[in-house]
Amino acid sequence: MKDIIFDHVLKAYGKNVVVKGLNLNICEGERLVLLGPSGCGKTTTLRMIAGLENITDGQLYMGGRIVNDIPSGKRNVSMVFQNYALFPHMTVEDNISYGLKVQKVDPREIEERSNAAISMLDLNGLEKRKPKELSGGQRQRVALARALVKRSDYFLLDEPLSNLDAQLRVHSRKELVKIHEMYHQTFVYVTHDQVEAMTMGHRIALMYDGILQTIDTPSNVYNRPANVYAARFIGAPSTNIIEANLNEGKLIMAGQHIVPPEVWIKKMKENGGDMFYFGIRPEHTKITTDYMDNALKGIVRYTEDYGNKVGVYFDINGKELISVCDNNVPATGERVYFVPDYSRIHLFDYKTENSIGYPEDLSKHNYGVVYELRGRLAGDRKFKAE
Amino acid sequence: MKTELNSMKWHILVIIIVCILIIPVVFAVSNSFKTLADAFSNMFNIIPANPTLENYIHVFEKLPFLQITLNTFFIATIVTGFKIITSLLAAYAFVYFNFRGKNLLYFVLISTMFIPFTVIMIPNYLTISCMGFRDNLWGVILPQLSDALGIFLLRQSMRTIPRSLIEAAYLENASDFKIMKDIIIPLVKPALISTGIIFFINSWNEYVWPVLVLKSKENYTLSLALQMFISAEGGTEFTIAMAVSVMTMLIPLVLYIVFQKHIINTFAMSGIKG
Repeated sequence: MKDIIFDHVLKAYGKNVVVKGLNLNICEGERLVLLGPSGCGKTTTLRMIAGLENITDGQLYMGGRIVNDIPSGKRNVSMVFQNYALFPHMTVEDNISYGLKVQKVDPREIEERSNAAISMLDLNGLEKRKPKELSGGQRQRVALARALVKRSDYFLLDEPLSNLDAQLRVHSRKELVKIHEMYHQTFVYVTHDQVEAMTMGHRIALMYDGILQTIDTPSNVYNRPANVYAARFIGAPSTNIIEANLNEGKLIMAGQHIVPPEVWIKKMKENGGDMFYFGIRPEHTKITTDYMDNALKGIVRYTEDYGNKVGVYFDINGKELISVCDNNVPATGERVYFVPDYSRIHLFDYKTENSIGYPEDLSKHNYGVVYELRGRLAGDRKFKAE
Repeated sequence: MKTELNSMKWHILVIIIVCILIIPVVFAVSNSFKTLADAFSNMFNIIPANPTLENYIHVFEKLPFLQITLNTFFIATIVTGFKIITSLLAAYAFVYFNFRGKNLLYFVLISTMFIPFTVIMIPNYLTISCMGFRDNLWGVILPQLSDALGIFLLRQSMRTIPRSLIEAAYLENASDFKIMKDIIIPLVKPALISTGIIFFINSWNEYVWPVLVLKSKENYTLSLALQMFISAEGGTEFTIAMAVSVMTMLIPLVLYIVFQKHIINTFAMSGIKG
């Protein structure tokens, strides 16, 4: 088994604890993404797997044995560094084969493996160049080739795409997945980019402040966030989180109230307490300038054009929320009615900030149930700005 | 146009400085080819009136000059070699190893740079005498096998190497020795060469310490030989002294010309990009 298990692992620099009692199980052959903002301990976690950081407390198991005191070179890991860490005085070829030479692999084997890596990563013709004569993308591929020739069981990547431009990043993302599908190493990928995490990971481990917030499939991390932090971190624009008070079947938020479907009220009552955090992604909301029943009323503060969609920031009694819409964009200063898709809302316990869970069948509780247009017709809208 | 004028100003300034620096050298070279009488009458003539090699011949006749040059070379080479090796090892430890009291130790080490030689001269002399190395080349060499300056310079240079390079090598199971040989030394080579040149020239020009330790003529170094012709007992044979000076200059000059590129690189280089 080429799995990695963190058992209550703690890492501290003096009094500064950067990883706080991490329990994490990385399965053999899995692509796990460690995601989080800078300083959350994700790189430290990766470096502990590589053996580049000592473990202050707890146990780290790799392939079934404790590796706390096993030096980097004996852990059979390869790593791609954020700055690539290519040896500037060596040619591409020497950079790629250096590790194999140190390990005294048979020269014919070295040549064979290097050539395979060179042609797979499209580095033909660059063998004799020094790193400074390469472009960023080429350097990144040399770093990958150097990690690949080792054919190790564990493949660690520390933000390898962060120095590339956006187009190249998308391309490299696919390449990395393709490479992993070929070798099926245990793949641990550190990034702060949620798009990379969502597209590459079999599972995402979201970290914040040295604590593992959630670990789940990309789909679950997005659709069923485990806590307020996960809901906020994943998705752009960020999830709306509002304090909500459950009172006689109504949810009171920012001085207004809405009536959620019965299934949600039941779920909230099961959880206990009457204070919650109500979460809804901007893309799962509707706003209109026409009057709607059971909606929150707000004033549009400003809009952001994303090209394909428009983000609308509006204000409900001092609380800023955001919604995205693709047509009928309200103007700044206009009054809007805001309705969430009740099959996509999230409710979190007020104290623990953890999800209270989801009712069994939500599919029929989308906008349709509570969506009642009254009074004016859709074409009757008047912009205040005009 | 303006920049051209500007750079011209700098060029003129630099040319003046070079002239001032080179005058003593030209003076020494030209006088070493003059007879004593000629030198006294036309001291500042650059071209000797009657060029002669008699000063050089005299030096070789009067002194075991080849032996003296070899002595100087031997001392300078051994001292430089050891200083470089010890500096490399110590700098590596100070940069890449973590141990208790590292910063304190480094501070103490660096502070030895500020202790004047005259303070440690007598203790060193007594130690060397007790060990029986008086009037022996090893007596000159032994107290100079390491140097805080070298540790300082190489440490600075090593700190510019991104740590991830070393970590990448660790991941390949490379030993510290292998990392030093394959990665550190090639990357700090310019600093290594210029530090080496500084050590070599310092040792080559060293006077006070050899004069204390070395007594017999066959153990002399070049600076001691030079002193024989300009001291009270040597008289005023300064054309011969100039000949010795010129010969003393030769080896460091050749070294400088050979390694010129690296020395200039060291000063021009701001860091290594990964």
